[in-house]
Amino acid sequence: MDINDGFFSGITHQNLEQDFKLLKAALDASVTGIIITDNGLPDNPIIYCNKAFEDMTGYQRSEIIGRNCRFLQKDDREQAARYQLGEAVANGNDAVVEIRNYKKDGTLFWNELYLSPIYNDNGQLTYFVGVQHDITLRKRAEEELKANQAEMEQRVEDRTRSLREKEEYLSSIFETIRESLMVLSPELKVLTVNHDFIKTFKVSKEETEGKQLYELGNGQWDIPELRRLLEQVLPTNNPVVDFEVSHDFPHIGKKLMLLNAHRIELEGEYKDRILIAIEDITDKREIEQRKDDFLSIASHELKTPLTTVKGYVQVMDKLVAKTGDEKLHNAIEKTSVYIDRLNNLITELLDVSRIQSGKFKIYKEPFSFDNMVQNAVNSLHQASPSHHINVIGETGIEIVGDEAHLEQVMINLLSNAIKYSPDEKEVDVQLSVVSNFVKVSVSDKGLGISREEQKRIFDRFYRVGNIQQKFPGMGIGLYICSEIIKNHGGNLWVESEPGKGSSFSFTLPLTKSDLEEDAK
Amino acid sequence: MPNKILICDDDEGILDLLELVLTDEGYSVVAELNSVKVSNLIQKEHPDLIILDLWMPVTSGDQILKTIRNTPAISELPVIVISASNDGKAIAQEAGATAFISKPFDIDEMTGKVNEILSSAQAK
Repeated sequence: MDINDGFFSGITHQNLEQDFKLLKAALDASVTGIIITDNGLPDNPIIYCNKAFEDMTGYQRSEIIGRNCRFLQKDDREQAARYQLGEAVANGNDAVVEIRNYKKDGTLFWNELYLSPIYNDNGQLTYFVGVQHDITLRKRAEEELKANQAEMEQRVEDRTRSLREKEEYLSSIFETIRESLMVLSPELKVLTVNHDFIKTFKVSKEETEGKQLYELGNGQWDIPELRRLLEQVLPTNNPVVDFEVSHDFPHIGKKLMLLNAHRIELEGEYKDRILIAIEDITDKREIEQRKDDFLSIASHELKTPLTTVKGYVQVMDKLVAKTGDEKLHNAIEKTSVYIDRLNNLITELLDVSRIQSGKFKIYKEPFSFDNMVQNAVNSLHQASPSHHINVIGETGIEIVGDEAHLEQVMINLLSNAIKYSPDEKEVDVQLSVVSNFVKVSVSDKGLGISREEQKRIFDRFYRVGNIQQKFPGMGIGLYICSEIIKNHGGNLWVESEPGKGSSFSFTLPLTKSDLEEDAK
Repeated sequence: MPNKILICDDDEGILDLLELVLTDEGYSVVAELNSVKVSNLIQKEHPDLIILDLWMPVTSGDQILKTIRNTPAISELPVIVISASNDGKAIAQEAGATAFISKPFDIDEMTGKVNEILSSAQAK
């Protein structure tokens, strides 16, 4: 270092030492760490450091002087900045680097180092001055900023990916589902249709999407019922559920469709779009019809030989009656009972199918209600002589209804009462007229039904859990009974307590003429 | 002269059964499996009552019944329709049956119905 250079030039030798002291004091007062290394000595040792450098590194001057700067990096040698420095030192150039240094106690600090070479008058490289700033805080802020940025970017990326995945997920459902789906704008423009729609209605995406619904395929979707239905979805927000539409399409023929429409509402973004799900039930209905036809034929074919069997058993009974053979008579009576049961089972099977396909019909005619009940009681008495059926009261009314089916209800209720009260011998049938209804209650003192089970016993194929094994049955009797009563505009219900017995009651509304008939 | 009953059912078992039961009841019975022959038999045998099955090949019971009701000379002929079909009753009524009995029937119900119809026809 030559302090005769610069603005110190021209000062006297005597003052030199004083100036040097002043300069040193000034350097020590600086908050910037400053060191000087001697390039003339082996391994470029530090020959000067100021107070700020001591504070910055935590080392005493005595621990600094004589060492190469590299001690500040401790074991953290693989830094790009070190190579930059090495190069500058070797070439005698300036350098500015940001380098990780370590204090005496091992804490990291980022050092922004300005390295300047100093040449003597002969142009020889003599010293390097290193001016150092602890930029740890700045560096940390920068890193945090970077980390934040990276985190933000990651989040955006994650969100984008998750959105894309969600969209792919939803669209794969939309496309895979085997039901035709169509999304419409409020103006009933087709926004999207799925694969099944394309397949079912034999159209292409291009000729469908973006088009007005009613203009599709020469107006083949301009179906009055559909119009009415769609007009109500958006303003009322009422979904359309299972709306059956039958339409003859020009190319694909007559289709029976089940339509479900919903307004799509997702945080406002998808507001006012309509999702229509179209289930093609043409085939399903045809299969139902075939099943129905099959069961009709099957029951007819089963009943035909049963008619002959029943008839001949009755002929036998008449022949046996003449001989007075009690045992044979009993055997024949029992056979008759089981023929009737078989006949009822066949009837019930067909009834269930008819109820399911909505083709269950009742034929109403006037008949004596009390006689019908008595007939049912008689046939049950014959089948189960062990039980006594008490008929209490009478209606005295001729009502208009389906006698055969109502007798079927009575037989069902009575045989249930008997079946589920094996240890009690009494079953009560209460007949009455309540307001403009006839009311029948069939009560037993048998097993009873829990509250939970009571809700489900009128369901199809439902059987009360723990009795499945002990009491055979198909679980369709009460289902059919409730349908028959419903078809007459009446009501069938149960009151029961486990262990105390059950009481099944039904009411049938009387028409005005029924009541007039009664008054005669 | 006993009353004559013409029975037509495509099931031989039922035909035999009805023939047996109604003969025992004192009637003269003509039993026929083939529904196509019914109109000829009516002309030839002049039955007092006909028992007709509904589902039969070629000519169904309700077709025969409608023809009877539309033929002036025999339009009043009592006809009992029998069927194992659930819709039998409605079809029979629409075609103009005097009575409908569902299969399987009670033989007492059958003879009761036949006796009732024939005695009321006699009374006229």
